[in-house]
Order: sequence, then C-alpha cells, then structure tokens
Amino acid sequence: MFEFAFSSVREAIHMNGHGVYVWTVFLIVITNITYFFINYKNKINKIKNKLDASS
Amino acid sequence: MIKRFIHQFASPKTYLFQVNKVYRYIFYISLIIYSFSLTWGLLFTPEDFVQGNSYRIIYLHVPASFISQSLYAIMAIASITYLIWRVKLAAYFIIAIAPIGAMTTFIALISGSIWGIPTWGTWWQWDARITSTLILFIMYLGLISLHNSFSNYEKADKLLSWLVIVGFVNIPIIKKSVDWWSTLHQSASITLTDKPSIDPSMLYPLIGCIIGFFGLIICLVILSSKYQIFKRERKKSWVKEYV
Amino acid sequence: MKIFYLEHLKLRKKTRSWLGPILVFSLIMIAYPLTVEFLQTNLEKSFYSLLWISILLSMMLATEDIFLEDFSDGTLEQTIISNTSFPLLIANKIFIYWLMIGVPISFLSFLFSLSLTQDFNLSLSIFPLSVVSSYIFLNLFVFGNALSLNKGSVLGAIITMPLALPVLIILGKSVIAIEFGINYLEFLLLLLGILSIIITIVPFIISYVIKAHLE
Repeated sequence: MFEFAFSSVREAIHMNGHGVYVWTVFLIVITNITYFFINYKNKINKIKNKLDASS
Repeated sequence: MIKRFIHQFASPKTYLFQVNKVYRYIFYISLIIYSFSLTWGLLFTPEDFVQGNSYRIIYLHVPASFISQSLYAIMAIASITYLIWRVKLAAYFIIAIAPIGAMTTFIALISGSIWGIPTWGTWWQWDARITSTLILFIMYLGLISLHNSFSNYEKADKLLSWLVIVGFVNIPIIKKSVDWWSTLHQSASITLTDKPSIDPSMLYPLIGCIIGFFGLIICLVILSSKYQIFKRERKKSWVKEYV
Repeated sequence: MKIFYLEHLKLRKKTRSWLGPILVFSLIMIAYPLTVEFLQTNLEKSFYSLLWISILLSMMLATEDIFLEDFSDGTLEQTIISNTSFPLLIANKIFIYWLMIGVPISFLSFLFSLSLTQDFNLSLSIFPLSVVSSYIFLNLFVFGNALSLNKGSVLGAIITMPLALPVLIILGKSVIAIEFGINYLEFLLLLLGILSIIITIVPFIISYVIKAHLE
C-alpha cells in the first residue's frame, strides 16, 4: 500500500503530463489555507495591540 | 445539566477559554493527519486506470466541496439558535464562518475546473453539481456583502440569520431543480458518487484528507470567531483582562 | 379593504414605479428581434429564455423602492405600532404590485410571444406560467429589498437572485415540455405549489426583517 508510485522525483513532478494540473491545485489549496491562517492571526494581533495600547 | 453546560459554553468568555485549551491540539493533529494523507494520496497511491495521474486531485477537491456544504448547514443551525435563543456567540459564528465557507467553495470550484481539463476536456460544464456549487459560492458572497453593508452589528446579525435560513431552505430545491434540468443536456461527466467502489488503497488517504482538512477548517473557524469576539466585545472588561 | 385601496392609490400615484418596469419589459422585447439576423427560426430559438429573464429583471426593477418611501416618512413605524397586522399589509402590498405590474407584463408577454412565434396555443400557455412566476419573483425580490432596506436595491438583488434560479430552471423545462407537446401542467402545478408556500411564509419573514431594521 505504501509503494512509491513513481520511479523518480522528476516523474513524480511530471506525472505523465498531468503534473501541471495536480500541482497547481495543490499550490492553490495550500496558499489559500495559509493565507487565511496568517490573515486571521494578523487581525487578532492587531486588535490585541490596540487593546494593549488603550488599557 | 446539559442545559447549564450549553449556557456556560454559550458565553463568549468561557468559549474562548475552553477553545484556547484545545486549539493547539486540534491544529497539530489535523495538520499531521492532513499532510500525511496528502503525501500518501499524491505520491504513494497507485495510478488510476481510467484517469491516469490526474485523479490525484480528488484528495484536494473532495474535502473542500464536502466541507463547503457542511459549513452552510452549520451556519443555518447557528442562525436558528441565534433567532430563537438570542445566543450572541451563534451570531458571531455566522459571520465568522461565511468567509471561510466562501474560501472552501472557491477551492472546490477551482480544483474541479482544473480537474476537468484533463478528464473531460473542458474546464467548465453546466452540469448539476457545478452549477449548484457556483450558486452556493454566490450565496456566500451575498452573505458577506450584506453583513459588510451595515455598521450596526446587531441589526446585521439578525438580517443575516434570516437570509441564511431562507437560503438554506433553498439549497435542496436548487439541488433538485438543477438535477431535473441537467437530465435534458446529459453530460458525459464522471461524478464522484457514481463510482461503484473505490479501492481501499485510494479510499483511506481520502478519508484522512477529509478529516485533516476538516480539522484545519475548524481551526480557522476558531480563529475567526476569536477575531469576531475581540472585535465586538472589546469594550468589555474581561477582554481587556484577557489580553 | 381600506388597506387594499390605500396601497393601490399609493402605487397608482407613483407612475414611475409601475409604468417603468412595464415599459422596460416591452422595450427589451422590442429590441430583441432587432439584434437577431431576421430569420424566424433564430428568433424562436432563444425567445423564451429572454422572456423569462426579462420578466425577472423587470420584477427586480419594480421592487426597487417598494419600502423606501414608507421607511423614510415613517409609515412603516406607524403601522407596526398600530393595530393592523403587519404581515397582512406586506402581503397586500406585494399583491397590489403583482396586480399592477406582474399581470400586465404577463399579458404583454403573451402578446409578444404571439407576435414572434405565431403559435396561439403555445402563447396561451405562456400566460399562466408568467403570471405565477412573476408573483414568485416579486415575493423573492421584496424579501431581498427588505433585507437591504436603505442600502440600495443592487445589494438586495444580488442576495436574492440565487433564490430565484430554481424557478427559472422550472420555467425552461416547462417551455420545452410545451414545445414537444407534453403536458406542461405539472410544471405549472409545481410553480403554484412553490407560490403557495412562498405567499404564506414570506410576508412573515419580511415583517420580522423590517422590525429588525426599525429597532
């Protein structure tokens, strides 16, 4: 069940011509999620700083 | 006892304290599960006979489209809770979930249309599933824009929860009607539910991906609800102490 | 009866808001043949989809300022305080709008359909469909307008447009059923069922929404 499906790393990136699609989707998903995490962390920190300054 | 527990948990303060305890565990566990099953799915599963390697998008596409609909259901439950019992936390949840739901729907749409290029030969097909997902995306955008147009938060919450409920009633209707309509233009698309059986070596990573993605989304919801709580209750003394 | 008459008078005096949508609808219908290369088959092919969409748009236009005047001059607040039932008033308002805008537009759509397709039976069955669907659209857009009461009607239209899509799908199916000579009555009954649910529920929801606005 855990055999590496490709014979080399280059092939894993290429994926018989389908690599372009798979890896773009992968990148989109990862960037979206990380962007949201960073965005919300920043927003919370901003509000915290404001509250700190006011109190 | 259950009622008391709910009452306590419904106060933003206890919610925040309880959630802060578990947040780290949820985040790391789901991150580990997600990254493990994603690498398993993307690199270690055998190639699909029909679709070739492009089927690996399933591990990114299915969790997103699954969660985009369940998030709307959660929003509907929250808005009913808000309208009946006036639980403030539920109102924070509605607007906290909306952008995240829009994000997951967006991911589902984009990944689906990219998946369509190698398998269907077209990036867009007006079939039932895609159209209803697009409508869901537009509804999320509408919710966000409605909430942003009011400066008075309480009014915005009330109107938003009404809209969420009406929209939720509409979702099964949209699904059904789109199904009737697409029977006319029968498209040769392969939908996921039609697959009679999926090999266990492909199924396990998929389940892992769904669980891991769900955990990550829960973390995002926690973060954004935290942001909402801070934003709305910054005048309260406990927030100042907490910070 | 008195409310009915008053609402009727109110709308009749605002010529722009009841004549405007009808005129826009007929202008779209007149403009349509000009954009098509003059072949009868081309005209018929997409006439009905255009018809439904222009009914949808003119209903959107009609509800643009349905509550705005009452909101700004305080009539809404007064009716909430007074003894008259508020949902009933809203249902009445929608009914008047349908009577003065929806029904004429349906009649016009019958006429245009007759003039473009020269098929009397087909056009005759378009009439009930457009009557019922215009009422549904009115209800939905009034709900959207109540949500975005003083924020402009574009927002309300954006919000409620997805809710109107199933009706459009059913309408498309029923036109194909009529053209193939299948019984289209089931689709009409389906629309009537949707309408009967909407008529009973939507005025209450709208009244809650407006109360939330006025609080």
